[in-house]
Amino acid sequence: MTPLALETHQVSKQFPDGTYALQNIEWSVQDGETMALIGESGSGKTTLLRLLNRLVEPTAGAVFIQGNPACSQDPIQLRRRLGYVPQDGGLFPHWTIRQNVCLVPQLLGWTLKQQLEQVNTLLSLVNLDPAQIAERYPIELSGGERQRVAVARALAADPPIVLLDEPFGALDPLTRYDLQDQFLSLKTRLQKTMVLVTHDISEAFRLSDRITILKEGHIHQVGTPPELLHAPATPYVDLLIQHYHAHRG
Amino acid sequence: MNTHRGRQSTGRISRGIIVGFLGLLCSFSLPAWASDTIVVGSKNFMESRLLAEMFAQLIEARTKLTVTRRLGLAGTQVCFEALKTGGIDLYPEYTGTGLVTILGEAPMNEPTAVLNRVRTQFLEKWNIWWIAPLGFDNSYALALRRDRAQALGLRTISDLSRIAPTLKAGFGYEFIKRPDGLPGLQQQYGLQFKEVVGMQQTLKYQATANGDVDLLDVYTTDGRLSVYDFLVLEDDRHFFPPYDATALVRGETLERHPELASVLSLLTNALTPERMRSWNLLVQEQGQPVTLVAREMLQDLHLLTDSQPLPTSSQHRDSQSLFVYMWNMRATLALRTVEHLGLAGLGLLLGIALAIPLGLILERWRKGAETMIRIIGMSQTIPSIALLAFMIPLFGVGTFPAIMALWIYSLFPILRNTYSGLRDAAPNVVETGRALGMTEWQILRSVRLPLAAPTIMAGIRTSAIWTLGTATLAAFIGAGGLGVPIVAGLQLADVNLILSGALPATILALAVDALLAWVEHGIKPRGLEPVR
Repeated sequence: MTPLALETHQVSKQFPDGTYALQNIEWSVQDGETMALIGESGSGKTTLLRLLNRLVEPTAGAVFIQGNPACSQDPIQLRRRLGYVPQDGGLFPHWTIRQNVCLVPQLLGWTLKQQLEQVNTLLSLVNLDPAQIAERYPIELSGGERQRVAVARALAADPPIVLLDEPFGALDPLTRYDLQDQFLSLKTRLQKTMVLVTHDISEAFRLSDRITILKEGHIHQVGTPPELLHAPATPYVDLLIQHYHAHRG
Repeated sequence: MNTHRGRQSTGRISRGIIVGFLGLLCSFSLPAWASDTIVVGSKNFMESRLLAEMFAQLIEARTKLTVTRRLGLAGTQVCFEALKTGGIDLYPEYTGTGLVTILGEAPMNEPTAVLNRVRTQFLEKWNIWWIAPLGFDNSYALALRRDRAQALGLRTISDLSRIAPTLKAGFGYEFIKRPDGLPGLQQQYGLQFKEVVGMQQTLKYQATANGDVDLLDVYTTDGRLSVYDFLVLEDDRHFFPPYDATALVRGETLERHPELASVLSLLTNALTPERMRSWNLLVQEQGQPVTLVAREMLQDLHLLTDSQPLPTSSQHRDSQSLFVYMWNMRATLALRTVEHLGLAGLGLLLGIALAIPLGLILERWRKGAETMIRIIGMSQTIPSIALLAFMIPLFGVGTFPAIMALWIYSLFPILRNTYSGLRDAAPNVVETGRALGMTEWQILRSVRLPLAAPTIMAGIRTSAIWTLGTATLAAFIGAGGLGVPIVAGLQLADVNLILSGALPATILALAVDALLAWVEHGIKPRGLEPVR
């Protein structure tokens, strides 16, 4: 059996005021799997994502990255091995697209030649023309283009695991659908482990292999889309599924 | 402007803050002046400048000493602090001022008693010497238009007390506060005016002549008394103490250069009130240069060997247009402009050197940031002239204390903008950099600083304009700059002279602002604005 890419062991995150963002989370992601985290705001899905790259430290329990405890690793080095795509792209406005995409390779000390080759490869991978776009600034791009650059940047140093925090949330529906298509084709080609935070259940069904449903700091169910559809574990999951059906019409 | 016996009234608290703050920054004081140079100071009114210039020329003519002039210092406090701390070696002072303002004692009437009192006290407390008086007493007095006085039947201040409640008085700001001014006068004579307006020296005369106010306070040797037809009311109860003028000299200076005492003593009883009034008039109303009048005075007294050439040719100021005037003064103005830029520039550079690193530290240590910024912000609430005055006990007079004061003034806008610019720089972008594995130092260098640069630069721009403006006040503590013609012009009511300082100062501020705006534009990272 392949080792788990990501694993949490009895993880809790408690705020100073005593309330829990997450409580006793037992959770894991298989290698090469795309896992969606779904829930309302305040459900703890973003906190769970940020525990993985140590932007948040657990107050109890342990997080394992590729079998090793996260807390024993240098957070800077760890983060460079985990791709990350935020909701708004998070591109550096004062850097060109080329500089933005090369961020992690440059931090890792790649040669300039390697960096330039990688920019061309990755921009092509996300269906952008490097010749057209590499020397432009983020503000000159459309929202969809910027988000594709953010994906290219996350993949730049070929990380085994990619974390995506509502990557398509701020886009208009058509662009979102288009990018989801490209995401699916990338996913099949790259075979990376991915964790995708979303509040959109149809997006989760469309893009992921398995789905984790969170509410108020607890996991309600983890399962493949068919499992969720046919055997919702709690009334909340059932409600979400009904909503999904209603939405599809 | 008009105060010949200055006063500083800023609270002890702010003074304590500044002194404490400076104590942290620098714990050294001004180095002693080269021993063969004598520094002559004066207050910022004409008679004081004239006497100081006379002392200076006399010393130059009769000794081998070199004289540095620091004329026009802001009032008694500044002059006396400078004298105590060795920033200047001597300046003209009045016995009554020594008694009432400096020693803080009750006024006395007998001139010899006052002189003896200040002599013993100054010697004992500070080793400072009063040279024998020059022979005239420049006292306070009350005056009003002669026709008004006659119509009202006024001759003495006692007469005045009867009708005072119907009169409007225009008094100097200092006179209104001094114990030997209005408060004492009210007690002694029971005076209650209908209204008291605080006014600048030159304006008081015009306002009284125009009938805007009924009476004013005057100095008895003011040259303007012979121009305006005013009646000086007799002080029939002998309230005003005597103000015999003479040189006040540091004991250490006299020990080093005993010849100074004998040279200055040549002026003992050499001047009379009438002569002083006419010489003051030459400067005040006829626009004669101080250097020239001082020279004439010494020649009149046969104290100069008249081999020296005339310092400058006399030109009547009213006959010149502003631009001709400024053109003729171009060498001086260029020097003043360079001094001005030097003062403001050094203050600003030091401000940048301290405030930007401090802003960086505070951004890392946010718990203490707001408190620290508020404390620095308090330095802005100290009136600039008071801040300059506080520098004197610490650093003496001249360029150095002025730069220190301007430094303190420049800190706040740069610090505040550095801190908030770094703190508020695109939080989502900073977070992404962190999530992708940038260290905090890399985030600071590559993200926060470039994104905060326009905000920091805007702070520097604000500071630059404040510093350039405040630098005009540096003239009050003898630091030169474009404030020198402004201050002198205010005393002379000489519009050309004022403008010859104010105009270049304004142009300088505009030019520097434009230059910094250009830098700010250049420093702004590309990509923050859409490309057109």
